[in-house]
Amino acid sequence: MELPEVKKKVKKTIAKVLEIEESEISDNANFIFDLGADSMQSMLLIAAFEEEFDIEMELEKAQEVQTINGAVEFINSYL
Amino acid sequence: MTKRSDLHKKNLQTLFYPKSVAVVGTNKVKGTVPGDIFTNILQADLNGIIYPVNPRETHIGSVKAYKYVIDISDPVDLAIIVFPSSVCDRALEQCGEKGIKAVIIISAGFKEIGEKGLEREEQLKAIAEKWDMSFIGPNCLGVINTDPASRLNASFARKFPAEGNIAFLSQSGALCTAVLDYAQARNIGFSKFVSFGNKADISEIDLLYYLMDDEKTKVILLYLEEISDGPGLMKAAKDVIEKSHKPVLIMKSGRTSEGASAAVSHTGSLAGSDEICDAAFRQAGIIRCDNVEEMFNIAIAFAYQPLPKSEKIAIITNAGGPGVLTTDRAIKEGLTLAEFNEETTKKFIRSLPSTANIKNPVDVIGDARADRYHAAMTGAILDENVDGLLVILTPQSMTDIEKIAEEISKIAFSSKKPIYTSFMGEADVSTGIKILQKHHIPHYSLPEAMCKPFASTLFFNKLTQQKIGDPVVFTDVDKDAALSIIEENLKAGKTYLPEYKAAKVVQAYNLPVVPNELAKSEKEAGKIADSLGYPVVMKVMSDDIVHKFDVKGVVLNVNSREEAEKTYTQIISDVNKRMTDVKIDGIHIAKQVEGGTEVILGIKRDPSFGSVVMFGLGGIFVEIFKDVSFRVAPIDKESALSMIKEIQSSEMLMGARGRMTMDIDSIADAIMRLSQLAMECPEIKELDINPLIVLKEGKGCFVADTKIII
Repeated sequence: MELPEVKKKVKKTIAKVLEIEESEISDNANFIFDLGADSMQSMLLIAAFEEEFDIEMELEKAQEVQTINGAVEFINSYL
Repeated sequence: MTKRSDLHKKNLQTLFYPKSVAVVGTNKVKGTVPGDIFTNILQADLNGIIYPVNPRETHIGSVKAYKYVIDISDPVDLAIIVFPSSVCDRALEQCGEKGIKAVIIISAGFKEIGEKGLEREEQLKAIAEKWDMSFIGPNCLGVINTDPASRLNASFARKFPAEGNIAFLSQSGALCTAVLDYAQARNIGFSKFVSFGNKADISEIDLLYYLMDDEKTKVILLYLEEISDGPGLMKAAKDVIEKSHKPVLIMKSGRTSEGASAAVSHTGSLAGSDEICDAAFRQAGIIRCDNVEEMFNIAIAFAYQPLPKSEKIAIITNAGGPGVLTTDRAIKEGLTLAEFNEETTKKFIRSLPSTANIKNPVDVIGDARADRYHAAMTGAILDENVDGLLVILTPQSMTDIEKIAEEISKIAFSSKKPIYTSFMGEADVSTGIKILQKHHIPHYSLPEAMCKPFASTLFFNKLTQQKIGDPVVFTDVDKDAALSIIEENLKAGKTYLPEYKAAKVVQAYNLPVVPNELAKSEKEAGKIADSLGYPVVMKVMSDDIVHKFDVKGVVLNVNSREEAEKTYTQIISDVNKRMTDVKIDGIHIAKQVEGGTEVILGIKRDPSFGSVVMFGLGGIFVEIFKDVSFRVAPIDKESALSMIKEIQSSEMLMGARGRMTMDIDSIADAIMRLSQLAMECPEIKELDINPLIVLKEGKGCFVADTKIII
């Protein structure tokens, strides 16, 4: 999968989980600081990414990822 | 105070009295830390404006929310950060940009979780320094200010306490909530209530300096888990006590002696971290408490009653047993039962039944009602021989508990002498206790518990009247000579200085060392012994041998040249039999001092308090009874003398039971010189002078053996 496509899917997933518009999500946005995800939503995001991309991520490392660009890069390493 | 400490003091005023507060990272979810903090601030009725900051919400609790703190157009005095630790740096950075100077970081996930958390904490400190901000936390419960001018509850505690004059500072957040609950049940109020968590920026020292000038605070309570700057804490407490006459009570957890076991010297093994902590607190005038109950027992005595002028108390009771128990404890705490004057005795004879005990402790008998308590209390309180009352009540069928409580409250209101109470029992006396608590009369569930608070308040009152002297700085010392010996050995990789080297270090500080010399041959030993005069002591000298006695390396009472020469060979042969591969530098020969008393002096470097000096009587007193005293350097003459008097066996030096009075002044002088050596040569980790031989009054003392670990 090409990176732009990964990014598009990541944003779509975030918008769905956090119930926000995709247009509100900038590439450098931080899930917590900029998008207001709480700890439960952060966990839901990880689960949603796994489902969307059909991958299984290392939980501890996945929790460290907090930005859109970071998530794209991290998910891509599993594809 | 440093520039940063000055800044903290200024910023703490803003932190406690903000006109506008932003809760950064709050949310709408009740029962969560971010959500409850916002609710608590609203419910406490803050005297100011509150701004919720949340990236997703438009409003929280009907209050307009802001995406970022920098979006708030008006100035913000205080920010409370409740974001997860991973984004606290960004939140703090924005607070800096916004011009906020006071911050409370509630979030956990910093130093307490390890390396990664420590790194985050360091980032926060750097950001705070960059923007001249001060922050409390991270990893804390928050801050409460009950002053109506503020009414700030920036915490996730369940309760907003009553207004009072006690400030409580705690490193543990969980203890804070328990204390709030405990205090509420006893009608105890607070001025300020602070959980400071990891104290990454604002520490207990900064808070002490702030509270020193806080008009609403009369007593300061502090719970500490670790002391990172012992001398700083001691200085702050001393300043608070001296300048504002506010007592500082500290409960310090971790009364273990780990670390002491690895020590090489006597001083090292005797000076456990807790013993040093005890000594340092006493030296600074800090009252150390063992548990929450004891802390509040003492705190309410300070907060509610006048300080006692002397140790003379009167006990008034309607039951003999509790009166005796209280008397026993009072004596143990250094208090005395006042002897009533003639007039008081006459009053008692007139107003109390013939079966009553009109001597101290006054027993008004089991059937006493309020009138009898009134007569006994007024009689005792007006007696010039009495400086405080301890009133005990046990509930009999005719005891009018509430009336007696009211009577005590009335008398206490107009009295300039402290009155403490103990209504024994629970259910029957509960309304009486509530009356006492309402009128701020210290109440204790057990009568013996009244004694320590009385002794502590008396100690404090005497302390504030003392003039603390400055440590003497001796000019007849050769610091460079001592340092060069230490440096030379450190360069050579040697960490143990045997006697002949260690003696030169203490000699440089003009401590009187017994005449001595190092012999490197049999013949030289004879010559040196002759020149010193007999008897002499001969000891093996080697960097490899710390405990010379254990390897037969010490011989006393050598009385002639021939004996000295023979002993030289004998010691070397004995040592070699017991230790192989040992490098012997020679045999140290010293004049044997006779007729004195042996004491021990020592230095240890403590990680929290720095250089600590120890004093004790030599021989079995130090080995078995561990009868020693400690002080943190620098030490003034008063403290040096009190170190000597403090040990249980001090009478051995003071001429007890027909013994000679020894030269106490020369010991005090040696302690002060050692204190200066410890301060000026911090490379010394441990030092033992064992023994220091003290001669009779006016004849001085001599260092007979020294060892130093660097």
